[in-house]
Amino acid sequence: MPKKDVDLKFVAENVGHSSRASCGGCHFNGGGGDAIKHADMSRQLLKPDRSCDIHMGGYDFSCTECHKTRNHKISGRSSSVPVAEGMVSCEQCHSDQPHYCGSLLDHHLNTHSKTLDCNVCHSPVFAKCKPTKTWWDWSKAGDKNRKPKKDKYGKPDYNWKKGEFKWEESAVPDYVWDSGYMNRVFIGDKVDINADIINLTEPVGSINDPGSKITPFKIMKGIQAVDADYDYILVPHLYPRNKEDKTAYWKNLDWEKAFEDGMDAVGLEYSGSYKWKETWMYWRLEHEVMPANMALSCVQCHESLKGDKTCNRCHQDNRNIDFKKIAQKGTDFSFMKSKGRDVEHLIEKTDYINFKALGYKGDPIIHGGRFKRLPMGYKKHE
Amino acid sequence: MKIKMVRKIIFLAGLVILATALCMAEVWKAPDQEKAREKAKKIVPFIKEYKDDCKINRKICLMDAGISIKDVKDVYFLLDSPIIKKREDHYEPVRFAHKRHAALIQDCSMCHHYRPKDENALETTRCSACHQDSFNPDHPERIGIKAAYHQQCVKCHTAEAKGPVDCKGCHLQKVPDHKDLVKLPDNADPFQVTAECLRCHDTQGEDMLKTAHWLWKGPSPYTTGHRKDIMHGKGTTALNNY
Repeated sequence: MPKKDVDLKFVAENVGHSSRASCGGCHFNGGGGDAIKHADMSRQLLKPDRSCDIHMGGYDFSCTECHKTRNHKISGRSSSVPVAEGMVSCEQCHSDQPHYCGSLLDHHLNTHSKTLDCNVCHSPVFAKCKPTKTWWDWSKAGDKNRKPKKDKYGKPDYNWKKGEFKWEESAVPDYVWDSGYMNRVFIGDKVDINADIINLTEPVGSINDPGSKITPFKIMKGIQAVDADYDYILVPHLYPRNKEDKTAYWKNLDWEKAFEDGMDAVGLEYSGSYKWKETWMYWRLEHEVMPANMALSCVQCHESLKGDKTCNRCHQDNRNIDFKKIAQKGTDFSFMKSKGRDVEHLIEKTDYINFKALGYKGDPIIHGGRFKRLPMGYKKHE
Repeated sequence: MKIKMVRKIIFLAGLVILATALCMAEVWKAPDQEKAREKAKKIVPFIKEYKDDCKINRKICLMDAGISIKDVKDVYFLLDSPIIKKREDHYEPVRFAHKRHAALIQDCSMCHHYRPKDENALETTRCSACHQDSFNPDHPERIGIKAAYHQQCVKCHTAEAKGPVDCKGCHLQKVPDHKDLVKLPDNADPFQVTAECLRCHDTQGEDMLKTAHWLWKGPSPYTTGHRKDIMHGKGTTALNNY
């Protein structure tokens, strides 16, 4: 119910379109507060800098301009929850040939679009305007005497209700092959409780699938409880229902009672024994796309272009084009640093997306792409 | 006593300045959008005489002149003509990616189909230089700016089977002023408000009840093993670690 002092007549008379503020009222606060869950959404997007989000900050896009609606169904597929009522992609407006000026560089960038999600280059760091929570250890909760310490961003490392946290700002995403489909663990699904890490969501994809693309993710990591006998994730009862509540963790600090009640609420049994396990959730990075001139430059991934040899590895260098300038222009993290972002460690970084971890032998310029062997004019590499 | 009063006045003046500064800071404008909005507001002088080249001549002329996408200075426009708004104002501006269209079409003459007769004028000019008010008795052959936009956009989008052809695909409909439409007593309660909305918007009400935002569950077409399910969501089975 709305607050008592809200003049509902006035509200109804001034009905209008949805806005970043109306959608963000819930979606910016995912996880219990601003920017906690979403690596790429926060109240910062109400009035974002142009360099923080080109769509919302440069052109004042509202959410529904991309997340088109039909019969009140809102398109978009989330990585955190399974529900989707239509999808949104950059290609809907930008096409699958998004670099359109016809230059040699554009040609190569459009080829990249077949293998890379746009945000690999166009949003090279997440939580670029505000720190987001990346670690949440529930097992440490319950110590009312522990004084929270503030990290370098001024964010607390502890809350007795919730446990221990880590925050990151302007962080490098994890890059994974993604086909757009997710594996998910639902309430009641069996998990491998002997595994080091349980993935609650993880993208499905492969270097060998032409439909999969290298995609940036924030991985929300944490420690939470698993039923040691039934092998499913436990749902605790946290928030007290009323003054008489005897089971809520945030009132009674008793996990046993909280699990029993919480599991009862979702219709499952609690065996009476639990284990703390590390769990990961993959969150695809979609928003906070930066202006084109702040995209990653070629050298930031391709170490092979860092030296004297650049485009002239394949192309004749007798034209009136500065190859080095082409290969090495782009986001300069020093610019982001000057804007107050915590990116100093990224300046001069190369192999940004880690080719080997993605299944390549190394820099594809030297070792070949996933479906093509390019090398022309230089020795076969071992 | 006097000093106290002066101090008080200075303090109050300070407050006013601070409040003004805060209010000023509140007004946020997206820079690219603002630039485009300013451009959209301008009404340029009407070009009375134009050179009636045959389409193919015009195309070749532009190409021979070496005019290409490299000459496109305005990447992005908001189409929000004050000429149209003088008569009717039902829609929000259209975002028009000018350079992107130019790159895709690779033929400037598709839109810049004639040029001003004045030899000193630029080869290309904005739509609203030639197309202004509709039914101008001095230029009965000239369609107005609204018709020009719609004929040009819809015709090409249809022919190319690309881009929107429906109203809302290009511009958001403005919400009519509801001050006189809404009939509610002062201090209306939430149930009265909902009932009043549904008085006209009953279909939308029905639609809303079937959405994931209402039900907190729905189809999961992108979740492996559950692609045909329709009951997963935060309200039912979703798990998290935060």
